[in-house]
Amino acid sequence: MTDRRPFIATDRAAIMLQLVPYLISKGEVSLAEAAAEFDVTDDQMRQMVEKLTVIGLPGDAGFWQMPNELFDINWDLLDEQGIIVITNWVGLERSPKLTAREAAALLAGLQLARTIPGVGDTEIFTGLLGKLSRGSSAVPADVIVASEPVDEVRSAVAEALRRRVAVSFTYKAPDAAPTTRTVDPVKVQIANGQWYLQGWCHLRLAMRTFHLDRVSDMRLTDIATSHGGEPVPDWFEDGDDVVVRVRFPESVAPLLGEYLERAGIETAGGVSTATMRVADEVSLRRLATRHGGVLEIIEPEGARLAATEWAEAGLAQYR
Amino acid sequence: MPAKAPPRNPPEERLVNLVVALMATEQGLTKDTILTSVSGYREQSEAGVKKDALEKMFERDKENLRGLGVPIETIGDRLDPDDLREARYRVPTAEYELPDDIEFTPAELALLNLAGGVWSEGSMSAEARSGLRKIRALGIAVDDPIIGYSPRISLREPSFATLQRAIEQSQVVTFPYLKPGEDAPRTRRVQPLALIEYEARWHVFGFDLGVAADRTFLLSRIVGDVVVTRQTFDPSLRDGAGDRALAGLEELAERQLALLEVNPGTEAALRLSRRARPAPQGIRVPYVDVQVFAGELASYGPEVRVVEPEALRAEVISRLAATRRLHGGAE
Repeated sequence: MTDRRPFIATDRAAIMLQLVPYLISKGEVSLAEAAAEFDVTDDQMRQMVEKLTVIGLPGDAGFWQMPNELFDINWDLLDEQGIIVITNWVGLERSPKLTAREAAALLAGLQLARTIPGVGDTEIFTGLLGKLSRGSSAVPADVIVASEPVDEVRSAVAEALRRRVAVSFTYKAPDAAPTTRTVDPVKVQIANGQWYLQGWCHLRLAMRTFHLDRVSDMRLTDIATSHGGEPVPDWFEDGDDVVVRVRFPESVAPLLGEYLERAGIETAGGVSTATMRVADEVSLRRLATRHGGVLEIIEPEGARLAATEWAEAGLAQYR
Repeated sequence: MPAKAPPRNPPEERLVNLVVALMATEQGLTKDTILTSVSGYREQSEAGVKKDALEKMFERDKENLRGLGVPIETIGDRLDPDDLREARYRVPTAEYELPDDIEFTPAELALLNLAGGVWSEGSMSAEARSGLRKIRALGIAVDDPIIGYSPRISLREPSFATLQRAIEQSQVVTFPYLKPGEDAPRTRRVQPLALIEYEARWHVFGFDLGVAADRTFLLSRIVGDVVVTRQTFDPSLRDGAGDRALAGLEELAERQLALLEVNPGTEAALRLSRRARPAPQGIRVPYVDVQVFAGELASYGPEVRVVEPEALRAEVISRLAATRRLHGGAE
């Protein structure tokens, strides 16, 4: 891993405490595999393994510890083949308990995972909740992930993934006419509470992403999935062609959230300007009215006009 | 043979040596024993480093290890528990290790692997991976990975980590909170009890000391640093807080049912219908936050019309009017 936070002594100590039980359970393991498991470089892993050999039980004043009072490794295997084998240990055999935060991170993930149809039953989840709470060194802060019930469309997708068959459905993208699609399902992305199906679209002959809220009349076909191995698309990469600029008070940036993730932002005098690429200039009218009066589209002119007309058409309903 | 020059051992060596020493003792070690026998301190003691400095180092190390979840027990004088001069320190194995009787099945581990992968980059992602490593090191076989699904939780709010720490420590926090429609943020003083993701937004639930009542705050409206105060509260307030918070949001949504007219076949119809229940004329949709929901409805432009409540209707109209004004449309 190249891009990680500063690697401080406490982090290294935490890893070394986990390293001993890991090495014991592995028997022998390559430097590269151990480094990958702990998200460190091969060199960092080698240094930590080497340091392990100067760690041991306290010695009497003025004397070094006896060799059997220290952790030890097979040096030849490490030097010649890059393989780690722990040959002596003086404690730390079993994994430490989870910290409150580690437990909270897993518990929250489980709440989301359990919304997936067919993945684990209630018994497994209840069992895991109990084990994680008993295996935690302090009471984790409650981190709750609320989820919506799974509907027919989501269940049908799960069934199709299991049976490896294509699904057929009506798709209604915003500001476009509905189309009928047949899709080999490859992956379901769940993000921000929204479900997206990614798969090979028989109509477009390419990988596509479909928002499941925009899907209706879904049924399973008996066409076997034939494009399961294609790389999944990078979200909505279907042509982000238009460069747009929007302006808003700096203080509301957190409210705009995900829209700004791919934007370049400049701020001066409390006003931020974001430049981003979108697929369709008309789609921005929805963003503009959502943050009505706070977010202004600067360009292109077509997007400004579309926003004005969208707002006007909305207001006309209230006259 | 005695050490000569005072070797500056890397601190992680000293920390791990300290854990090993404190786990190997039943009755505990005194500070003096630790400073003269545990490698990392011993060399410096022998090289004549001042005892004051070593004691300070020991205190820091203890805090750092506790931060990692290592349970360092202090056994004080039974007659005078505040007198720590003769205190002994130990790490009880049963408190430190994952209990012997906790085992994970291959199916459970597969599920945990999926659960641990939900956090996008950031500290929660690192915590989840570290937790998984500890479990995997128990040497359990794992079922085939669960494929076909990639569940994700986003977490952009910088206040999350601070609030989580404050909840763990049962400490009162203050933060500037900007309510929509107000010109300036107001400082809230809160006993934080739980963090909740609801409708894809992160909230903190807690007891607002300013109004002496439970409140739920959107993290995206916290517009400055969360300050953790020294004031603590009874940790038992946290019991069941997550469930209470969730129930509170759900009850609120049930009390607030908007009556909407939706154009069939539009984005608005598709997105709202999952949450909607039929009404004689139009649909009823529950919501928790009038501002957030008004924003969503305004984004649908002419695809939806709010019949009631009046407050929601006014918010939607004001967003549409402001959009038109800002983009040079007619008044």
